[in-house]
Amino acid sequence: MDNAHDILPSKDLDLTVTISPPKGIWPEDIVLGRVLNLQDGFGQMQPALEGLFSATMICTVVFTTMMLTMLPIPYIERKFIGRLMDRLGATTTLRSLWIGESGVTAGEWWNQLPFGMGAPIGWLNKTLNSIWGNDHHLEAVSRVNNRGYHGYWFLLPGFFQAFADFTKFAGKEHIVPKEADRPVYEVAPVIIISTTVLVFAFIPFGPHFYVSSPELSVIFMMAIFGVAPLGVFFAGWSSNNKYTLIGGMRSAAQLTAYEIPLLITVLGVCVISGSFNLIEIVDFQAEESNVWNLFMLPLGAVLFLITMIAEVERIPFDMPEAEAELVEGWWTEYGGMRWGLMFAAEYQRCYAACLLFALFFLGGWEAPFQSTMESLPIVGGSLEFLLSLIPGIVWVLIKAWALFAVFVWIRASLHRVRTDQILEFGWQWLLPLSIANLAVAMFLRVWVWDGSWGIVAPVVMILSGIVGLVILVVDEDKEALESMRRPYSTYAVTKAYPGRHPDSKLEDLQRQYTSYSAVKTASSVSPSDTEAGT
Amino acid sequence: MAEMWISMGPQHPMTHGLWTLKVKVDGETVVDTEPDLGYIHRGVEKICESRDFTQITTYCDRLCYASANTWSHSYIYAVEDLLEVEVPERAEYIRLIAVELQRIASHLMWLGAYGPDIGNLSVMVWCLREREMMMDLLQELGGSRMHYNFPRVGGVKRDLPHGFAQRTRAKVSLFLNRIQEYEALFDESTIFLIRTQGVGYSKPEEMVNHGVTGPNLRAGGVNYDIRTAHPYSVYSELDWEPPVERPSIKGADCYDRYRIRVEEMRVSAMMVLEALDKIPRGADTYHEPGDPAILAKAPSRSPEGASGFHHFEDSRGESMFYLAGGGEGRGKMPYRVSIRSPMFITIPYASKCMVGYKVADIPAIMGSFDPCIGETDR
Repeated sequence: MDNAHDILPSKDLDLTVTISPPKGIWPEDIVLGRVLNLQDGFGQMQPALEGLFSATMICTVVFTTMMLTMLPIPYIERKFIGRLMDRLGATTTLRSLWIGESGVTAGEWWNQLPFGMGAPIGWLNKTLNSIWGNDHHLEAVSRVNNRGYHGYWFLLPGFFQAFADFTKFAGKEHIVPKEADRPVYEVAPVIIISTTVLVFAFIPFGPHFYVSSPELSVIFMMAIFGVAPLGVFFAGWSSNNKYTLIGGMRSAAQLTAYEIPLLITVLGVCVISGSFNLIEIVDFQAEESNVWNLFMLPLGAVLFLITMIAEVERIPFDMPEAEAELVEGWWTEYGGMRWGLMFAAEYQRCYAACLLFALFFLGGWEAPFQSTMESLPIVGGSLEFLLSLIPGIVWVLIKAWALFAVFVWIRASLHRVRTDQILEFGWQWLLPLSIANLAVAMFLRVWVWDGSWGIVAPVVMILSGIVGLVILVVDEDKEALESMRRPYSTYAVTKAYPGRHPDSKLEDLQRQYTSYSAVKTASSVSPSDTEAGT
Repeated sequence: MAEMWISMGPQHPMTHGLWTLKVKVDGETVVDTEPDLGYIHRGVEKICESRDFTQITTYCDRLCYASANTWSHSYIYAVEDLLEVEVPERAEYIRLIAVELQRIASHLMWLGAYGPDIGNLSVMVWCLREREMMMDLLQELGGSRMHYNFPRVGGVKRDLPHGFAQRTRAKVSLFLNRIQEYEALFDESTIFLIRTQGVGYSKPEEMVNHGVTGPNLRAGGVNYDIRTAHPYSVYSELDWEPPVERPSIKGADCYDRYRIRVEEMRVSAMMVLEALDKIPRGADTYHEPGDPAILAKAPSRSPEGASGFHHFEDSRGESMFYLAGGGEGRGKMPYRVSIRSPMFITIPYASKCMVGYKVADIPAIMGSFDPCIGETDR
């Protein structure tokens, strides 16, 4: 407290209060001392202001970082879906995301970099193309999703579409349905967007780049993440619209059903990492265990992915906002910026999910094989120096964006699952699997962990993950698969075959069915008829 | 939650046309349905009473806009029945090529709309791009991309253009390869299978009683295709058979109706290739428009009391035209044109098929019946 800058004179105002009770009750005077100390109060203000200012600055910087690093998200979505619709195939699509499309370089932006810096990138691209081919050529019809011509120079055509969309939403009229429950209608987007942004307060973008990191940050974050379904339900109910009501209830059911496996999976990650603090979880992977949690808990990673896709309501789980039957589901009656904010909130939740996956399972701000590289005998030191030049946030973002590309890939290729099938899947399959995952995590942490994972446990877990993947993915027997596809009693396992009814076991049914075509004349050719003797 | 009526339409992104489907839901289960048609009733039958026979062809194109060639050919066959005109064989082959290409385009449009109904958004663009290939071919034949006005009374408007056969063979072969991609995307996707199998059963006996025809009926196992049952044109000269699906004992579900159309696309594609090989005088000879090889002389007036009738295998079922001659202009215009639309008959039945399933199944079921409201409302 600097006397020269204090507001009031440095002497404290000495207001002493003395109470003199009657002699019979209390023998002495009661002195209450200095009850008013103005200087103390004002002196406390300055550090508080400092604290407020730094908190505001941190929040602003992190929020701005979050919004800026979220800009590639709709870009990835648009480009990926656009190129998949060009029938490029998923791997070519992934590779095509970093190639530009138009303008000065017709896509090869690396040739424009000074000092020939882009030559290795060009070589890499050429090699990949020569191995796996590249059908990436400009197609006239693909412009719909690509919108490739308005952008900066080489790399970012289509980048400013997000800004244009945002401006459009901001300029639209606020329409409230006549019979809608106005307070609830207004509050719903506020709940959704505010809880979503609040989640980002706890997500560290780098080792020293976060707003706050309390000891139980994971629990806090998951709790906030789970408040959004309430906003969704409010939105669906308050719009006075049967569509939105159905959409809101579907959404509430689905999100609730998938919160539980999500939380149990996250609990498994926290158990295996030994802490509820997000930064400590990443430090555990980076410093202590040197094995990413993805390899220790492959089942957990898959479960987290699936439950998160359900939580952010993306295809295949986007039944609540399915355009096919519900127009936009619980969003139908919202327009203008309210809708824009909720739309942004959906992408922010996706982004939060991707970041959380990167932090929980992919080692956060650690480069792949960083600890291995750093512990190499000769080159380890120089590699460590090189890796330290890259800020941690870069790795986090790369992992999150790559994972978002996976989200988009899933969205573009899968169909929509029906609500009761979603719920069935969540309760019957994901919940037991997440509990099993938790059991595995507990076993690993309690019995296997002794300062390091050793060699056996990671290898066993990785192998089990690979084996599970192979079992799920590889098709064994085409015929068995074909007959399995028709789960109810069918007669033939072949697909529709022109005209011919291939097998003869069903003469009666054939006769019964073909007798309906009593209009059949002699000219119709059908060998089965002559066989069945119609 | 109490039972409530939900009105899907007329403004709705996914009801495949301009109609209202009111469904009564009890929670998430559909209890009752009520379709409401007539939003695009244009009075085609009445209009046709004051148009020449050649002028009516353009109206018939626009009956079902997704499948224009099948409707205009359906009408032309009825006129040729009324006026008793013999069509040259080369013209029949050209008509067959046009109709089958249109059938492929119509089924592709259906598949491109059915994917997003189920949730797969990429397949819409893929199917529309294949359809572009077919529409390019049809544009070469007919002059425009959607409404061609291609057949004439007694033949066709013009012959196969130069190089048409080569381009058609290339594109159709490419298309036959691409069908396998669609099958991979749908048949190998568990989610698609659980969305469409066991959903929307339609019993063949009910369908026959109701009058449902076309792929919806063949998906139920009934081997009835007008191209083989009452052969017209040169279908009997080609080596083909209509695909008939094997349903389960409960009837045809959405998966069966999806499969039958994929197989129909394949069969149509192969028919086109075969017709190009078998067309009389070869596919590369060119006749001027009006040449008797592709257009026979036809009377322009029909006597009073004459009637012409033809039923035709449209992309969606059996379409019938009944013409009564002897109308205005001393018979230059028909007295009455009566159009039987397969979808008008199918949509009430399809609405009945939805009862008992979930609200989420409505687009799956409705889409699998392939409604086209243009022909329904006429």
